[in-house]
Amino acid sequence: MPDPSSSSFSLMSASAPSPQTVQKKAVRADILVIDDTPENLHLLSTLLNERNYKVRSVTKGVTGIRGAIAAPPDLILLDINMPEMNGYEVCEQLKANESTCDIPVIFISALGDVLDKVRAFNVGGVDFITKPFQIEEVLARIRTHLTLRRLQLEQQAQNLRLQQEISDRRRAEETFEKSFLASPSPIAITTLRDYRFLAVNPSFMRLTGYAKAAILDRTTADLKLWPEPALYQSAISQLAQGTRCESQELECRTQKGEYRTVLISLERITLHGESCVLNIINDITERKRIENEFISVVSHELRTPMHSMVGALDLLSTGELGELSEQGAQILSVATTNAERLIRLVNDILDLERLKSGETRLNRTHCNIEDLFAQTVDAMRAMADEADVTLHVQAVSVPVFVDCDRILQTLTNLLSNAIKFSLPGGTILLTAALEPDDILHIRVIDQGRGIPPDRLESIFERFQQVDASDARKKGGTGLGLAICRKILKQHNGSIWAESAVGEGSTFHVRLPVE
Amino acid sequence: MSKTVLIVDDEEDALAIATLGLQMKTDWVLLQAGSGQQALDVSAEKVPDLILLDMMMPDMDGKATLAALKANPKTQSIAVILMTAKQEPLTQTGVDPEQVVTVFTKPFRPLSLADEIRTVLGW
Repeated sequence: MPDPSSSSFSLMSASAPSPQTVQKKAVRADILVIDDTPENLHLLSTLLNERNYKVRSVTKGVTGIRGAIAAPPDLILLDINMPEMNGYEVCEQLKANESTCDIPVIFISALGDVLDKVRAFNVGGVDFITKPFQIEEVLARIRTHLTLRRLQLEQQAQNLRLQQEISDRRRAEETFEKSFLASPSPIAITTLRDYRFLAVNPSFMRLTGYAKAAILDRTTADLKLWPEPALYQSAISQLAQGTRCESQELECRTQKGEYRTVLISLERITLHGESCVLNIINDITERKRIENEFISVVSHELRTPMHSMVGALDLLSTGELGELSEQGAQILSVATTNAERLIRLVNDILDLERLKSGETRLNRTHCNIEDLFAQTVDAMRAMADEADVTLHVQAVSVPVFVDCDRILQTLTNLLSNAIKFSLPGGTILLTAALEPDDILHIRVIDQGRGIPPDRLESIFERFQQVDASDARKKGGTGLGLAICRKILKQHNGSIWAESAVGEGSTFHVRLPVE
Repeated sequence: MSKTVLIVDDEEDALAIATLGLQMKTDWVLLQAGSGQQALDVSAEKVPDLILLDMMMPDMDGKATLAALKANPKTQSIAVILMTAKQEPLTQTGVDPEQVVTVFTKPFRPLSLADEIRTVLGW
C-alpha cells in the first residue's frame, strides 16, 4: 500500500516555487495539512507553496500523526470531518505525543459541518478556519499562529537559558557563600569610601565579638575597630597605588575592648558598582603572645647567669683577689664593658616586650616638666662632659600628670642619643612649649650628623639604627627609640624626628599633659 | 656591734658573688642559705639583722619563705630585702610591700650591694 505521505511529499516537491519567493532566502515554515478531500489539499498546498511555506499533505489522520512524529512540522491544518479517525481524535493523539504536543493545530471545517468549537479547543486546537476559505484570512491565521509558536519557542529557549544561568549563578553563589561562611580567616567587605561594613563572615564576628546586626552598615570608625586608624589608612593607600596590601600588622579592638594583633590583607573589589575593600584577616595574637613569652623567658634565663658573671668580674677588678697585670686589668675591663652591654640589651628587650604586651601600666603621678628636665640633665651631665657637648635647657614650668619615670626614661634616651651623635664642641638644646589642647611639645635639637630621610621613621623600630655598626660603636642597644615610642603611645602622645643630614636632628615629643 | 646578714639564693654562684661582695666591703657576719627551708632554720637559730631573699627558688620560693618568716614570732621582726631577676612591680607578685624593706633587681653589682643596704636600712 503506497504511503500517502510520501506521495504528498512528491506533490510538494513537484510544485515549483513562485518567482517572487525565490528571492526570499529563508525557507518559510513547515506546514502539515491533513484532509481527506484531495481538492482541499491541492488548494491549500498551492496556496501555501506560493507563499513559500513548505507543505506536506496527507489524506488520513493516521498517516498525518506518523508524519508529524517522524518530522514535527511547525503547524498542522487538520480537517475535522474525516472517516476512520476524525480531526478531534487526531488532535488528541497529537497532543498526547511528546514530540507533537506543542505543535499548533488549526481545525478546518466545512461551512455545513457542525463545528464543536468547545471540543476543538478542548482537545488542543488553537484556531479554526472554515471552508470555503477566505484566502487572506487563512494566511493571516497561519501567520499569527506561526508567530505565536515562534515566540513560544523563543520564550522556551530563553527560559532554558535563564534557568541554566540561574543554576550556574546559584552554584557560583553557593561556592562563594560556603567558602565565605566557612573560611577560618575572618573576612569583611567594606566600602572604600567610608569603610562601612557590607558583609562579614562568622570568623570575623568571632574575632571581633560583634553580632552581625551590630556590624553591618556601621563604619570601622563607628566601631573603633582600628585603634590606630592611620595604620589602616596607610594599608588602604597601598591599594590606591594599584598594589595589593598583604599581611599588614595591625591592632584590632574587639567589642569587649580587648586588643588582638592581626595581619590584614586587602584587595579592592567592585560590588554593585561601588568600590569596596575585601579585608582578609589573620589573628596572630596567640602567636605574638607565645613569641613574647619566649622572649620574656629567654631574657629572664639570661639574666641569672649574667648576674653572676658581671658580679664575678666586679669582684676580680677590685684587685683584692690577687693583683692583675696591666694587660690583665685591660682585658677584665673589656669583659666588664661587654657584660654590662649584654645586661642593657636584655633589660631593654624585656622592657620593650612588657610595654608592647601592655603588661606595664602607666604609673601616673603629678610632677613638673621643669623638674623632669633638671633630672634628665643631671643624669646626662657626665656623659655630655665626656663627649665635650654642651647641654642647653629652655624649660617651662608645666605641671603634668604622667608616668614620670617613663618620661624621664624617654628624655634620658633622647638626650643620650643626641650626645652620642654630636661632634665634640657641639650643643644640644632641650626645649618644651605648651601648645593648644594641653599638649606639651618637647624638642631635643642636636647639631650632629643627621639622619637620612628614608630612615627617619624606621629608626623607631627595633634594631634599626641608621648605621648597623652604631650599636657597637655607641654602646646602644638599638631598642631605645622603640621603647620611647611605646611609652609615648601609652601616654596617647607621639614621637618623631626631623633631620637635615650633616646639620643635625630634632626629635619631637608631643605629650598630653594628662 | 657587727651586723649579721643572711643571704638566701638557690643559685650557688649568685650566693657566692653576693657573699664575696659584702665580705670585701663590710665586716658583717655573713650567713648563707641555699633554700627557703634552710633560710627559716638559720634565721630562727641565729636571728640575723637582715635577710637578703631571692624570689625565684624551687619548692619554697621567696614569697612563701617570707610568709613563713613573718608567721614565726622569732623571725617576724627581721628586715627582709627581696632579690629578683624579674622586672615586675611588687604588687604583681602578691607580696605585701609592708613586709619587705625593698626589692633589689638582679643583676645588681656586688660591690655596691653593701652601700645600697646601708642606704635603705640607715646602717
